[in-house]
Amino acid sequence: MFKIEILTKKGFKNPRSEHVLSDICGIGVKDVTKVEYSPLYIIDGGISSVEAETIACELLSDRITENYIVYLMQSGTERYCKVVSKSATEGDFVSVPSSDPNFSVIEVWYKKGVTDTVSESLVKAVKDLGIVKEIKVNTGHKYCLYGGVSRTILNIIATKLLANTLIQECKIR
Amino acid sequence: MKKVKVLILRTAGTNCDWETQSAFELCGAAVERVHINTLIEKKDKIFEYDILAFPGGFSYGDDIASGKILSNEIKSKLGDKVRKYALDGKPIIGICNGFQVLVKMGLLPDVKLFKQVSTLSYNDSNKFECRWVYLKTEKKIGNESCCIWAKNLPDVISLPVAHGEGKFIPNNEKLLDNLNKNNQIVFRYSSKEGNEPEYPLAPNGSAEQIAGICNIKGNILGLMPHPERYIFGLQHPAKKSFNGKYGWGKVIFQNAVDFVGR
Amino acid sequence: MKYTADCKVIEVLNLSDEQLIELSKKNVLSLSLEEMKAVQSYFKKLKRNPSDVEIETIAQTWSEHCKHKTLTGIIEYTEEREGEKTKKTYNNLLKETIFKATVELNKKWCLSVFKDNAGIIEFDLENGVAFKVETHNHPSALEPYGGSATGIGGVIRDILGVGLGAKPLANTDVFCFGDFGIEASKIPEGVHHPKRIMKGVVSGVRDYGNRMGIPTVNGAICFDDGYTANPLVYCGTMGIIPKDKIYKEVKPGDLILVVGGKTGRDGIHGATFSSVELDKESDVSAVQIGNPIIEKKVLDTMIKARDLNLYRAVTDCGAGGLSSAVGELGSKTGAVVYLDKVPLKYDGLRPWEIWISEAQERMVFAVPPEHKEEIIEVFEKENVEAVCIGEFTNEGKLTLLYNGEVVTSVDMEFLHEGVPKPVKRAVYKMKEEKIQEPVKMNSSEISISLKALLADLNVCSREWIVRQYDHEVQGQTIIKPLQGNNIEISGPGDAAVIFPYTVVKDTKRGIVLSNGLNPQYGKINPYKMAASAIEEALRNAVAVGADIRRISLLDNFCWGNPNDPEILGSLVCAAKACYKISKAFDIPFISGKDSLHNEYSIDGKKYSIPSALLISAMGVIENVENTITMPLKNDGNKIFVLGLTRNELGGSVFAKIKNICSGIVPDVYPKESKNVMEKIYQAVSENLIESCHDCSEGGIAVAVSEMAFSAGKGVKIDIDAVKTSYVLKGKEEIREEMTPAEILFSESNGRFVVEVKSDNEEKFGKIFKGTAFSEIGCVSNDKEVIFESKKNKVKIQEDFKVLLNSWRSTINW
Repeated sequence: MFKIEILTKKGFKNPRSEHVLSDICGIGVKDVTKVEYSPLYIIDGGISSVEAETIACELLSDRITENYIVYLMQSGTERYCKVVSKSATEGDFVSVPSSDPNFSVIEVWYKKGVTDTVSESLVKAVKDLGIVKEIKVNTGHKYCLYGGVSRTILNIIATKLLANTLIQECKIR
Repeated sequence: MKKVKVLILRTAGTNCDWETQSAFELCGAAVERVHINTLIEKKDKIFEYDILAFPGGFSYGDDIASGKILSNEIKSKLGDKVRKYALDGKPIIGICNGFQVLVKMGLLPDVKLFKQVSTLSYNDSNKFECRWVYLKTEKKIGNESCCIWAKNLPDVISLPVAHGEGKFIPNNEKLLDNLNKNNQIVFRYSSKEGNEPEYPLAPNGSAEQIAGICNIKGNILGLMPHPERYIFGLQHPAKKSFNGKYGWGKVIFQNAVDFVGR
Repeated sequence: MKYTADCKVIEVLNLSDEQLIELSKKNVLSLSLEEMKAVQSYFKKLKRNPSDVEIETIAQTWSEHCKHKTLTGIIEYTEEREGEKTKKTYNNLLKETIFKATVELNKKWCLSVFKDNAGIIEFDLENGVAFKVETHNHPSALEPYGGSATGIGGVIRDILGVGLGAKPLANTDVFCFGDFGIEASKIPEGVHHPKRIMKGVVSGVRDYGNRMGIPTVNGAICFDDGYTANPLVYCGTMGIIPKDKIYKEVKPGDLILVVGGKTGRDGIHGATFSSVELDKESDVSAVQIGNPIIEKKVLDTMIKARDLNLYRAVTDCGAGGLSSAVGELGSKTGAVVYLDKVPLKYDGLRPWEIWISEAQERMVFAVPPEHKEEIIEVFEKENVEAVCIGEFTNEGKLTLLYNGEVVTSVDMEFLHEGVPKPVKRAVYKMKEEKIQEPVKMNSSEISISLKALLADLNVCSREWIVRQYDHEVQGQTIIKPLQGNNIEISGPGDAAVIFPYTVVKDTKRGIVLSNGLNPQYGKINPYKMAASAIEEALRNAVAVGADIRRISLLDNFCWGNPNDPEILGSLVCAAKACYKISKAFDIPFISGKDSLHNEYSIDGKKYSIPSALLISAMGVIENVENTITMPLKNDGNKIFVLGLTRNELGGSVFAKIKNICSGIVPDVYPKESKNVMEKIYQAVSENLIESCHDCSEGGIAVAVSEMAFSAGKGVKIDIDAVKTSYVLKGKEEIREEMTPAEILFSESNGRFVVEVKSDNEEKFGKIFKGTAFSEIGCVSNDKEVIFESKKNKVKIQEDFKVLLNSWRSTINW
């Protein structure tokens, strides 16, 4: 199982990040100074790491404006994620230690059974690449928030803005 | 005279195929809207047609990114054929989603390279917007465009745009220089007078206000605005027309039909 | 009958009344005691208990959503006016009001009314146009994006499923939201903030409509705190259909083909759920997410199959899923369905879930067996799943099998006719309306009010929404929702016109779409609300050049709990208005829908929505070249008001912002209005009108301002020249005395502001002779919008840009 994260290259605008930031200000939270948005994909179904990189490179990222990171996920939990390939060089993305109090991450994923149209399309697109395996895809969204925000506020941002808990679940780090 | 034959390639989510058909028909062409599955089954069918059109829409929902899945599908299943067709100098047009497909499979700006070197990314406004804009027609040689699709147009025309991902971004400055140098920039968003526009007349934040580009030879045009939505004066917000009836979009289709029929 | 492990027997035979009610509640069946008793006695006759599939099927078929029990049931109605009571019993309110008008008007150009998934009128010799508007309120409250997307997806399928399928040409959307200025702390628990609901709903309609390639061309939004917990989301679709494809007929032996999306646990109990008040623990599976690309593929392929004559009938899977779709198509014949053949999204669905799931993007076809291979090939060629799940019979029974075992065997007649007619009580007591104290304001006060009105949520620009919709896809939107003389500025158009040249070659005709809605009037007077909504919809259509002899109407009632006699009373009163006004204007209703139970309870307190009747109008325009827009065209042209201005500020936007509690709600004077509307059509056909705008929210002041700023022009208006109505003073009829503010902001129906060239003034005057009209000013070249009353020494003067900015700034994210 692989997890693929798509990052906007340095120097390119990510309008969605800016939009989320203004929405956060809009609900009265002033402490978030910057947002970085990244699409996430989890692909399951016996593909190799080379195939995972092909998918990340050819399909999921835009070679002009985006970079990708492919993680290998062991035993289905993220804690054992290992980077197997990436197009980004160190300078292209920021790796902030998870202990930094001024940095938090909210991930949003569909709950099981909820229609996920992007994942349905992706299954077809992967076949077009010549990878003939029955894959399963989950799509998610990652929002990196900069600025000191309490857990309570993070919860509000997650549930009032980024996710509808009826159909989505959020992981806050 | 034999009718000029046009192939409009459609797939799941294509949705500007009917009006594109009407536009070509108005210009005297015989048009078929062909599903990609049919073409993949009979790959050489493409060569039965004089003009190839990639219409607007949301191919495969624009899931992942606009035009991405279709451009991959075409490249992997029909890549050689489409490239040969393009190198033969036959007219190809990609409108809106079709432009995104051409750019993402790399048929534009350089057919020979056939590699993605530029992109159409999210509008700076972060939203889909449908509105009319002014376009400056770039005329570098003999007061005429180098693109076969863009002849016989005034300096500034208006057409509607309707997209969420139309911001043209080249991979580097050098490409932009080359596009300029080779007269490959066909349309730029502009003010009414043809000057630098501001949002919303600059609808997406494109590099150098690029709205449409062609290959060096000028037979392939890709553009975000919708010429097929302005073939009659009636379609203009203030019903403006030329020759008492038509819209500027018609000229674009007529150019290609006439080019083939010559 | 044996049952598999997947299918349970439900004990009903030996249940007491209390136990029957409990069963209904526990399984979200939404059946009343009378209905549960009817079920019990049916199965007593069969001498067995029903299976869970059977009980669910009955609940779906009998649901308010599918059966419209209230509006077709028995209503004992009492009306009280000025102390006098009148009583009347309706055996079927719909048939005795709205539908009755249509029957009596008996228009030959009405091709299919009140029987199919949409109403159809004649477009030209070969084609008809179909129109339907639906609501998707509860799902949109819970999941605004998914709810509104499936709302639009559902109504598009109504158009695909009318006759043998129409090609959709345009969408409409009308929303009612809470005021998004509300503080987060004041929002009830479990309710989304109105701004989030609005953003989600707009995105949902945008993403579904745009991906389907259907332009969203007309709509409205109404803001009121009463919709905070229970927003209203109306979605409409208009489509074109060849006349020889309007009728469907199922024959025994036809195969049942399910086409499109797979079936999952989505939207289980959607049909019954919509009759339940929302509460904190509302059923999560009632939420559905749509996939527009599947529906687009179905559209592309089914039109092809239609034109190859490969099927005999079609309908969409909406509320109640396969249960409703197969039940509807097979009601006169009978049907056998093998539930295990239905394609599933994932394992683990029980038979009853498969049968009533409301998974999106599915259509059901009746296919003659000889066409089976061919039709499946048409679909599969474009990657659309099409599976034969059973066949129609001639036994009059619904039989469902799962893995070889019969899990349902009930009579179609019981299913469709067995629901007991409920008897409901309705009471309407007319509220007294009286004219407010004269509104005396000086120039600067009026000026401030005008800007406040333009910026008011119910008047301000909807551009932020409209531009996110691809309102020009298909290239046929020739009168657009935002109208300007150039590209840079635009104002709010009254109606949209579609010119279907890509489908009907060489046509000159067009289709006009408009709407009318004003819940504020309904809070005071539901009769006038209904009458005004109809008139507004007609006015909007006429303002772009429509001929009222070719307009048809749709009704959509969104009401609170019909078990409350007063709420039901106001509905009856509104339905009576529909009959009367439809007859008076000689304009038929062709389809409609109701959504009742729009209530939300929290901490034991009930929040009920302000009743809302949406009227949507569709008309056929003879020549699309004779259509006009609302921005002023040329300096020096004359400006006229057509129709009389009355002192009618009740329920107006002005009354709201000035906290005026009294006032007369605008009434409708069909004779006067109809005459004016017919003459406008004549004048437009003769090219005598340059621009036209209807007067509604905000009155003349707002209408004139919008015409001016959308053109970037100035105007000079003489307030004293506006004709007010006659009133009796003693024995003498005199013009009613109104203050400048009252004249400018009154929302009297029946009025238009029009621009006429000086050269055409004489011809124009001749046409309008005998109607109330007056020249009130002219278009000026100085960019100043001026309203002046010399008599009252009042002069309002603003640069058009100031007014434009007031109008544009409210919703701009």
